[in-house]
Amino acid sequence: MLVLNDVHKTYQMGETQVRALRGVSLELPPAQFSVIMGHSGSGKSTLMHLAGCLDVPTSGHVEYGGMDLTTLSSRERADFRSSEVGFVFQKYNLVGNLTALENVALPLLLRNTTAKQAQAQAREALDLVGLKERMTHRPAKLSGGEQQRVAIARSLVNDPTMILADEPTGNLDTTTGERILKLLRRFTDNDKIVLVVTHNPEIADMADRVVYLRDGQVESQQFQEVAR
Amino acid sequence: MKLNLFRLALKNIGSRRTRSWLTILGVLVGVTAVVALLSIGTGVQEAVLQQFEDIGYDIILIAPANMAGAARSSAGGFVPGSGAGRAGGGMPPTQPSSSSSVPGTFSPESLGASTSEDDTLEHRAEQTKEGISLTSGLDTVLLLTQVPQLIEAGTLGSQIQPVNTITTSGFLRVSTPSLDFLDAFPSVLGGFEIATGTFFTNTTENQVIVGARSAETLRMAVGDPISIAGIPFTVVGILEPNGQSSDEENGEGSAMGDQALSQSLATGGSADLVLRGLTNTDDSLFVLNERASDILTGRSRLSVTITRVEAGASISETKDALNVAIGQQGASGTPISIQEVADEIQGALSLIETVLASIAAVALIVGAVGLMNTMYTSVLERTREIGILKSIGARDGQVMTLFLIDSGLMGLIGGVLGLILGSILSLVGTRLLGPGLGVGSFSPVIDGWLVGGVLVFSFVLGALSGVWPAWRASRLNPVDALAAE
Repeated sequence: MLVLNDVHKTYQMGETQVRALRGVSLELPPAQFSVIMGHSGSGKSTLMHLAGCLDVPTSGHVEYGGMDLTTLSSRERADFRSSEVGFVFQKYNLVGNLTALENVALPLLLRNTTAKQAQAQAREALDLVGLKERMTHRPAKLSGGEQQRVAIARSLVNDPTMILADEPTGNLDTTTGERILKLLRRFTDNDKIVLVVTHNPEIADMADRVVYLRDGQVESQQFQEVAR
Repeated sequence: MKLNLFRLALKNIGSRRTRSWLTILGVLVGVTAVVALLSIGTGVQEAVLQQFEDIGYDIILIAPANMAGAARSSAGGFVPGSGAGRAGGGMPPTQPSSSSSVPGTFSPESLGASTSEDDTLEHRAEQTKEGISLTSGLDTVLLLTQVPQLIEAGTLGSQIQPVNTITTSGFLRVSTPSLDFLDAFPSVLGGFEIATGTFFTNTTENQVIVGARSAETLRMAVGDPISIAGIPFTVVGILEPNGQSSDEENGEGSAMGDQALSQSLATGGSADLVLRGLTNTDDSLFVLNERASDILTGRSRLSVTITRVEAGASISETKDALNVAIGQQGASGTPISIQEVADEIQGALSLIETVLASIAAVALIVGAVGLMNTMYTSVLERTREIGILKSIGARDGQVMTLFLIDSGLMGLIGGVLGLILGSILSLVGTRLLGPGLGVGSFSPVIDGWLVGGVLVFSFVLGALSGVWPAWRASRLNPVDALAAE
């Protein structure tokens, strides 16, 4: 269970203070496909960064499995990301000079996994997203949808407990976007927390829970039954 | 994990080929310069020291102390060394029957002399006329009794004389070793090995032995006549080449060489010059001192007394004893040990080597700055990639290590290639520079220390150049890094 308790995040931009989150409290249980919605600047991405330990809140607590993530050192946060979190970004964020296989294997190579083992696991992950035949291609040779699937394969190669996706379909056409979302949704079957940040209302139809953010605060939450 | 980071760094270098190679080129140039200069410098030092070892560190030479001393000595005419003292008395001089006037074209080049336009025959002759005579005026037989630590002593003289052959004429250095000198110190003259003909057969005939290069340029053969200072001589032998540089290659004519030699001695200057002038066998003619002292009376002369110290005796104590003995003989001379000469030369060579290595180090630093610039640019360009790495769990230390390996590898590759290129350059350089440096043939010294040092240094230099950029990369906030375009 990921718990955000009265989380505030304030950025300093020049002389201006930007209050991105203002006392957000949320509980995200395993096996749930949650969507955070809101307009630009509502604090969606900031919330995802805090949930994934990419950043620390200005105040409040982020807890995971009873562990207070806000007290972790930089190194411990990196280890937490490495073992528990898989990120999927709108711009795919693949390393351009590596092949699809190498990109997917990258999280494993940063741990104590041998290159051979990492490649074997990366192949499995690519197979899972249907890209086994394209694994030797570099990102520039892949379509947007393929790149996003590589990014998804990379996010799950470590077998993380939560997958955090920031506008995963933002750069994709509708059909490809739907395929990607279905793929993400499938991971909840493995008790993973799947959190998708978007401003696209169509994605909300596939979510177990929709959280609406407005000006850094939870405006409303909606739980719904979705056919799996 | 480190191995994986190493692979990733290699991947990165490979993916930015042009820039990586240009960066490596900067390091390569610096390392090449350092390797070439150090290996040649060490090679020259070893070759020079080997020459001194061949001569022997148990030798002390006594050079005329100063101009005043030389003037006093020359006022009474040419004072031969022990050779004359021992053998000269019983051997009456043979007067020249006639001076041979040989028609032909004068060719300074053919005599191993300088070919500069200013350095004409007339000019050289004038210098010779106004030349100075520097002799120690020591009786070496007496010296051996005065200084018990000495076991051998002899005299080696040198003078510039007009020389005529059938085909050419000009001025040339005539070395005048005494018989006991040749007997005791052949190593000083590179062994004084006869290639063709014979050694001096007596001290009553006008016999000359010709250095290898002189024989070649003068086109002399055994039995040929040659006129020195208008006195007829016969070539009895031609020496084996000694591998020394010619005066021409050194940029000095024979006359100029001895003039400089004399002045160097007079001012207490480089002992290296003394030895170099006196021991250049390839460009000299050799007439026994016992004979020369009677018939060759030109004014531009130089002679040194060379002694060998008994094994185990203190060189410095022997020098002190020699100073006393020189005073007792009323002569004028300064004892210089071969060790001192070697130290002097080694000091000078080390200084030159240090200066050259410093210049090369500047090139290396420029390469390192280039590497740092590349790494800094790389961090800026790869900011997003750093964000990606951090988002998938890379620690700050791993990001830093990745960049350090990256820069260290480029440094190392530059080092390896620089080492190879520097070695090739030093091999070529020694062939080109060897004769000009006056140390004969020598090899560059590329030992394990140089190889290991260069490789470690280039890797460390590369890594150090990447420290700051790598540290910046590791400190990047992952969210900010991911937001970078």
